[in-house]
Amino acid sequence: MKLTNKNKMQIFILLLPGLLTFAIFTIYPIIKLFVMSFFEWDFGSIFNQKFIGLENYADVLSDKYFRMAFVNTLLYTVVTVPGQMVIGLGIALLLNKVIKFKVGYRVLYYLPVITSWVVASLIFRYVFNTEGLLNYFLMNILHLTSENVRWLDTRAGGLCVAMLLGIWKGIGWNMVVFLAALQTVPSELYEAAAIDGAGAVKKFFHITLPSIKGTILFALVMLTIGGFNVFTSIKMITGGGPAHQTDMILTWMYYKAFSTGEFGYAAALSFITTLVLAVLAVIQFRLMSNKDN
Amino acid sequence: MKKSFTQIILHVFLLSGLVIVVLPMLYMLSTSLKPNGALYEYPPKFLPALDEVTIENYVYILGQGKFYINFLNSVFVAVASVLLTAVIATALAYVIARFKFPGKNILFGFIVLTMIVPGMTLIIPQYELAVKLKAINSLPGLIPFYVAWTISYSTFMIKGFIENIPRELDEAIYIDGGSVFDVFRHVIIPLAKPGIASVSIFNFLTAWEEFAWANTVISDNVKRTLPIAISGFFGQHQFTQWGYVFALSVFSLVPILIVFICCQKFFVEGLTSGSVKG
Repeated sequence: MKLTNKNKMQIFILLLPGLLTFAIFTIYPIIKLFVMSFFEWDFGSIFNQKFIGLENYADVLSDKYFRMAFVNTLLYTVVTVPGQMVIGLGIALLLNKVIKFKVGYRVLYYLPVITSWVVASLIFRYVFNTEGLLNYFLMNILHLTSENVRWLDTRAGGLCVAMLLGIWKGIGWNMVVFLAALQTVPSELYEAAAIDGAGAVKKFFHITLPSIKGTILFALVMLTIGGFNVFTSIKMITGGGPAHQTDMILTWMYYKAFSTGEFGYAAALSFITTLVLAVLAVIQFRLMSNKDN
Repeated sequence: MKKSFTQIILHVFLLSGLVIVVLPMLYMLSTSLKPNGALYEYPPKFLPALDEVTIENYVYILGQGKFYINFLNSVFVAVASVLLTAVIATALAYVIARFKFPGKNILFGFIVLTMIVPGMTLIIPQYELAVKLKAINSLPGLIPFYVAWTISYSTFMIKGFIENIPRELDEAIYIDGGSVFDVFRHVIIPLAKPGIASVSIFNFLTAWEEFAWANTVISDNVKRTLPIAISGFFGQHQFTQWGYVFALSVFSLVPILIVFICCQKFFVEGLTSGSVKG
């Protein structure tokens, strides 16, 4: 079909708001971020910037706090992503077999997903408080420990709480996504396997898992991005403490930018993170499209 | 017989999982119903004693004028961002799905890329931009940034829905002498509505709970959105008034619950349409 000039004009008008939004609020900031990362750019002295080349990048990469934050984020992602996927898939498998109350279960399991990060973090902070409910339960009822566990002011404890929160909040999403995938697996496959005498475990590994491979990869990509995005829970639960030991990449970046005012350093950090994630995502997307073919 | 036994086992497993998942939410609710003095009770109790149950925390929150302001601020920002994103993203998705134009692949690649990169990484230059645009400490100033964060994902999803609309419907309009706008109004918008709705629910959630950006740029009490108000309650005094924090939290959850329960169908559709393809 040949487009008339009037229609070309209309297409342009439809594109314009989106293009403008991208140009002003995304592309300009990306370029600005890139430029900032080569400058000594201190918050408060916006008119006094000095070009320092790659110094910010060198600072970030040699900074032990950044390394700690990077390790924490990696740890968080490596634990929470498989954690919520396995539990979510497990619940989806059960739910797929259940006949009654399917919708009820789905709604209730989904509640943590729609609870905001601020509220969820505060609940966890309250539960894991040193004199809180969980410690009382562990110490005085189960007698697992002889003194209160310091969940909130140690590195191991803080990371542990953040990871538990991450898993708790993600189960529902995984459940819904995997349940939808399970419903697309043709039942003939299971019937054929049953005739061949395959047991439940064999069916799961030879039919279910290969059939939902695409969904597993999709979830993997989305959740990895989500893992690197961890921010609010750390901010509300530990504040990065003690002594930045529970800081994640983004909370450390935020601290450097808005507490110490080192915009240049934080910009370099952002850029490194963006690059790492983009490379990771491209690899995962490649994997995904290869599997599809 | 065997079948019903299996069903019972399934329910036992599902219910025990559910208890763990729902327990923290129930604890929030029960704490919000305890008298404020009892919050540092030791030993801590999961449920308040029956004669202790009180709504004083809720009464306190409702008695504060700023609660209504914070609540309306959140409604205003979330609704405006959702509507703007819906319009802009649908138009963008329509053009990408139906027409060829120079730079189309670059635009689409850019959209996918911005879906991957965490929005937070741009917070520094966006802050600098907000300063320039005088959008610091301004409630409407939040909106364009929320739109910018949700637009990529929305365009990507709505494009998928539009591609499922048969092109013959477009052709029929063109044959009758209709224009690109006519197709948009009479074919695309009506038929992509379920897709737009499901994307909008997610965008509403995103804007409603957004914390990092609003917390960074908003400083006035009366301009705060609910998440900022909640976090402000926490740590405002030396001892956090947990009863108030959780009563306010429960209030903040109500609109989300209503949207979620009313739009269950769209919710699931929106979640799964990206993940399960043929």
